[in-house]
Amino acid sequence: MGLPDASGDLSSEMEVDAFRRLFPLRFYERHLAESIRPDGRPLGRARDTTIALGAVTSADGSALAKIGSTTMLAAVKMEVMTPSMESPDEGCIAIDFHMPPICSPIVRPGRPAEAAPVVSKQLSDTISSSGMINLKELSLVSGKAAWMAYLDIYCLDADGALFDAALLSAVAALFHLQIPAVSLNDDGKIVVSEEDGGKLEKEPVNKEKRKLTLRSIPFSLTCILHKNYILADPTSEEEAIMETLVTVVLDSSSQLISLYKPGGAVLAYTSAVQDCIALTRQRVRELQKILDEANSGMEVD
Amino acid sequence: MEYVSPEGLRLDGRRPMEMRQIRAEIGAVAKADGSAVFEMGNTKVISAVYGPREVQNWSQQISDKALVRCEYSMANFSTGDRMRKPKGDRRSTEISLVIRQTMEACIMTHLMPRSQIDIFVQVLQADGGTRSACINAATLALADAGIPLQDLVTSCSAGYLNSTPLLDLNYVEDSAGGPDVTVGFLPKLDKVTLLQMDSKLSLDLFENVMQLAIEGCKAVANYIREILLENTKQLEYRRGL
Repeated sequence: MGLPDASGDLSSEMEVDAFRRLFPLRFYERHLAESIRPDGRPLGRARDTTIALGAVTSADGSALAKIGSTTMLAAVKMEVMTPSMESPDEGCIAIDFHMPPICSPIVRPGRPAEAAPVVSKQLSDTISSSGMINLKELSLVSGKAAWMAYLDIYCLDADGALFDAALLSAVAALFHLQIPAVSLNDDGKIVVSEEDGGKLEKEPVNKEKRKLTLRSIPFSLTCILHKNYILADPTSEEEAIMETLVTVVLDSSSQLISLYKPGGAVLAYTSAVQDCIALTRQRVRELQKILDEANSGMEVD
Repeated sequence: MEYVSPEGLRLDGRRPMEMRQIRAEIGAVAKADGSAVFEMGNTKVISAVYGPREVQNWSQQISDKALVRCEYSMANFSTGDRMRKPKGDRRSTEISLVIRQTMEACIMTHLMPRSQIDIFVQVLQADGGTRSACINAATLALADAGIPLQDLVTSCSAGYLNSTPLLDLNYVEDSAGGPDVTVGFLPKLDKVTLLQMDSKLSLDLFENVMQLAIEGCKAVANYIREILLENTKQLEYRRGL
């Protein structure tokens, strides 16, 4: 909007910060022409990522994931429930994503953020369709008792690429999860086993704490398309200015699990989509390494 | 149940007048104007302050001072059993009100008319004393945001079990059914801004327990000052001063 040259005349006299606020698109395009972004990253690189397992000691499994400034805290709590009639041998996972008002200045208390239910649904769909978890592993006594795993993810700082960080923290928390040891007592109820080995009446259902076997772990990368540029791992500023997002989810064997492009002004040719997938493939290798390092860091303790 | 052993040790090995280990960190949330993480033992709380900024609901604007809003919420996984309704229930609404009124007393609201200051507190792990940890975290976050304060507000709780005054109760001691006194204190001005108690306590014992809580508040204030000083030194260093 406005005259095409208006910002051009002012840009030489204005301060960088003012120019960034008033003409954000031109500010970014100046950078993209040099194949770099304002924070110094090349177009295809994601921000520094860290994972810390076991962040919440009271939960059965937890992880804190940070991609740049975007911070997600995920925790899993297990409860015993009766399985449904159609699948008496399977447990259940309930995934919930929350964006409390601390994460961003635009989230108001009482009115949930627009992004929250979208990311929540995306996460549940991705995790269930990836086949990462075999629900039969969550069964205790067929037809009578099974585990219900409540996975809650809290966004503590929202700075773009929310789905990527949320998926990473969810996956890390499930990786870290240790299912508590339980036994069946006389009334047919499941109780948590005492550490010194229960009395003889209790029949141990789960002898000791065990981890879930995760089959194919999904990792994702969100890219922004703008003209013919592809920017990997956007910050919230970039997401606000250039609205066309593409999210690709691959598993550790580079199989495509999901592809998500919710509209947007830029129409993508197949070549653009393939470039996004190639960037994601590289990112999956990075993330796999980071997750393994975090895990081996835990085991040393 | 014995909360204080005959040798004078509590359930977690502390002495009756000993606080839990405190740890604080400023600037945890990059997007917020001011933020802090505050830990008291196993209780871990994160707080973010947004403001002073434009009032979101124009009708609530006050012409001669700033509007202070506060929201307290607990993460689903913060307590032993998973919580169904982490905010909007009566306890959370009450604590939000308490924190707001406590912080409002020390913010110089007359310096920022027609604006809004939002204080959000999220409990990540709850092991007793969440109210106190939230107030301490909010103070640090307000200081990080550069909002003018009359004084720091620090808070600590104390109780009375097995005929011994105990400082800084954890969840087990808190649910024992004995009295629980929470104090919000302004260390420089030497004034009490928040005082809450439940259960029963005789007047002379109450004086003792309240003094103990105030001593706890002073200890927290010293720690908070150290953290703020360290933070300022870091900022100076980064600016090359």
